[in-house]
Amino acid sequence: MANAETRFSRVSRPAPEREGCEGGGTPVIAECIGLTKLFGGVRAVSHLSFKVDEGEILGLIGPNGAGKTTVFNLLTGFYRPTSGSMLFRGRDLAGLAPPAIVGLGIARTFQNIRLFSNLTVLDNVRSVLYRHAPYGFAQALIRSPRVRRDERRVREKALEYLEEVGLAGRAYDRASHLPYGLQRKLELARALALEPVLLLLDEPAAGMNPEESMSLVGLIDHLRRKHNLTIILIEHHMDVVMSLSHRIVVMNFGEKLMEGSPEEVQTDVRVIEAYLGEEYASAYRR
Amino acid sequence: MYIQGVLTVAMINIISATGLAVFTGFTGLFSLGHAAFMAVGAYTSAILTYFLGVPYVLALVAGVLASSVVAALVGYPTLRTRLRGDYFAIATIGMGEATRVILENLKITQGARGLPGISQYTTLPVAAVAAAIVLALARNMLASVYGRNAVAVREDAVAAEMSGIHLLRTRMISLVFSAGCAGLAGGLYAHYLAFIQPVMFTMVQSTQITAAVVCGGTGSLTGPALAAFVFTVAPELLRAAHMWRLVIYGLMLVLIMVFRPQGLMGYRDLSWSTFSTLAARIRRRTPHGKR
Amino acid sequence: MLLQTTITGLAIGGIYALMAVGYSLVFSILNFSNFAHGSVIMLGAYAGYFVLTRAGAPFPVAIAGSMLAGAVIGVANERLAYKPLRVRNARPLYFMISAMGVAIFLENLVYATLGAHFYSYPEVLGRSIVRIGEASIGVLDLFALAFSSVAITGLHLFLQRTKSGLAIRACSFDMTVASVFGIRLDRVVGLVFAIAGALAGLSGVFLGMKYMAYPTMGWITNKAYVAAVIGGLGSLPGAVVGGIALGLLETFVSVYVSSIIRDVFSFSALVLVLLAMPNGLMGKYVEEKI
Repeated sequence: MANAETRFSRVSRPAPEREGCEGGGTPVIAECIGLTKLFGGVRAVSHLSFKVDEGEILGLIGPNGAGKTTVFNLLTGFYRPTSGSMLFRGRDLAGLAPPAIVGLGIARTFQNIRLFSNLTVLDNVRSVLYRHAPYGFAQALIRSPRVRRDERRVREKALEYLEEVGLAGRAYDRASHLPYGLQRKLELARALALEPVLLLLDEPAAGMNPEESMSLVGLIDHLRRKHNLTIILIEHHMDVVMSLSHRIVVMNFGEKLMEGSPEEVQTDVRVIEAYLGEEYASAYRR
Repeated sequence: MYIQGVLTVAMINIISATGLAVFTGFTGLFSLGHAAFMAVGAYTSAILTYFLGVPYVLALVAGVLASSVVAALVGYPTLRTRLRGDYFAIATIGMGEATRVILENLKITQGARGLPGISQYTTLPVAAVAAAIVLALARNMLASVYGRNAVAVREDAVAAEMSGIHLLRTRMISLVFSAGCAGLAGGLYAHYLAFIQPVMFTMVQSTQITAAVVCGGTGSLTGPALAAFVFTVAPELLRAAHMWRLVIYGLMLVLIMVFRPQGLMGYRDLSWSTFSTLAARIRRRTPHGKR
Repeated sequence: MLLQTTITGLAIGGIYALMAVGYSLVFSILNFSNFAHGSVIMLGAYAGYFVLTRAGAPFPVAIAGSMLAGAVIGVANERLAYKPLRVRNARPLYFMISAMGVAIFLENLVYATLGAHFYSYPEVLGRSIVRIGEASIGVLDLFALAFSSVAITGLHLFLQRTKSGLAIRACSFDMTVASVFGIRLDRVVGLVFAIAGALAGLSGVFLGMKYMAYPTMGWITNKAYVAAVIGGLGSLPGAVVGGIALGLLETFVSVYVSSIIRDVFSFSALVLVLLAMPNGLMGKYVEEKI
């Protein structure tokens, strides 16, 4: 993001309250311990440890190349970690294939939108509703009444998810014909259709103007409450991160630079240094 | 009689093209050896009726099963890798060669001389009914979760996998269905010609099927079926020399990839979803439509 | 017998490696299986034959001529059949289909114009035989082995030591990034196809001398694809290892088992290698960026 830095304005909005966390006993839903990923000699992620509490939105920020997307690729089983472990509801994810991880309840969106672009908006969501179509192959071949019934349900479900992100009206458009912002929302709908517990959003507001991104903030928060989601959010739009996140992990050069509340992160010299360079940081110190 | 023969072959080619359309047009994988699956189906069913006196329909089913099994054996090691459709394509070349060598050297297939005197059970009505059934099954499959998974894998294997769709399983299902169709086509072909020989099932045959699917259109069933029909009938009408026909097929493949990669009826007009809505529309228009 | 079989196997393996390297080089850049490579080899064999017989040129000229012809055909092939796809960023499937189309087109064009006639090379090297101990080894085999080693070593040095070689390696790593750094893609891709074509021409001459030139000889070159996959797609050392391994395997099977089922063996080897090592013998696990 070219102008990510300029968007680094200090936003002081109270973090949205979290329901379901009484006292200090919030259950940890996911945890990375000493997570490391090497590409050749390059440390994309290095000894990264953090926890995600149930029901929270955890912001994951850092300059370009800090290794944020690699964390998502590790969590979803696209890459295998070089070392370290990832726990999800107490289960080690390392070595699981992506479909198994989706089955456990982790879904994601992509930084560079990856839709099924030759399909309609509706079919993009229908494509992932296989859980609602559990009939066998022989039944599919003869299109038995059961298949028809399941397929009707799949269709209704898909339209429901489109409704939630405000795309129901464009159900029959080709996905690639949607404007950029709506493609992001379609990806969100497709991820939601997987009925995840933990949702990984990779720059959902990228390419959106300030108005669009603020409406996205409302949508994400609404979806989180409605579906009891836990969210890890990678985002360069600081106003989006700061207003959505309960906690923020800052990464730099593959390592965790710091972790804290949005307020703490915004005033931390190390973070400013990482984003804007030494000079700005010293100016800030003065 | 002659016209009936041409039409029978056209129906048979529609069946194999439909199978390949599912694999290439809808699942996005390439095969250079579908003729080998036809060969397996042809020889299996022909041997069953010729030597063992098995009923025709049962023999056809056995041919379908045999080619599906062969496909599964070739597909499993080669379709596992996420983004390497090339492995399977190359393996099918090898499989084509291996099949030919095996057929030419087995006793029961009578080697390169081939099997003469197979009963001529395949008539035009038989072939036409078989083609209609295969088209209907393919349409049903594509309108089901299995077809949707296949299309998702074709569109973006990474996004599909990250959405929980098993790549290998999805590709294997398409392949086995596709090879089953080829096996059926082979069985019908053997019992139409009453004579089969290993050289009938080589690259030339595979090329013709591929050309029909590519020209007919990716992500379309009717396109490839139509193209298979035209590609069978047109050369007969034009009496084109065999090799020039292939020269033209080759040129057509390149030109289509360069100028209109989605083929004549690319997925835009007849994707699996629009297909079902189209079918619904047709059904509405003709109340006494298919029963 | 053992020594003789080994050297024959190495010679055939050398030709396979030569073919596989050209194919793998293209794969490493454009990420698709260039099935037209075999047809370029076939045309190279014809070119060598005609230079030798019709022009009556000496053997080195024939080799140079067929390498040149291969390079020109390779580049023309890319510009006409792949570049339009490359420009619009088409999926690998479309490249494969286009390549297949080129292969079918060229092969049958030769068939239709020159006929199915087998052109047998004049005996430039004679059928002379070198005796090493018990083994009698054809001069042709030795020549083939020497030429393939030289060509492959030359290619290796070119890729490692020259600026153009560096550009090719950069593109095989990441084409987009390479173009951002000012590498001209068209030129690099053209160069790659010229090199692959020249190697194809060279291997065509040796194949022609060994098995004669005929339209469908491109299908011998299927072995090149098999070899490249066994070695690890897109890896040049892999192509060499795969080619030599396949050549040895086939020769030993022909001699000690049966020459008829040789192809069944190579195919089974392919399937077995992929079962055990999904990325081939030397292929590194390539992780796609998302």
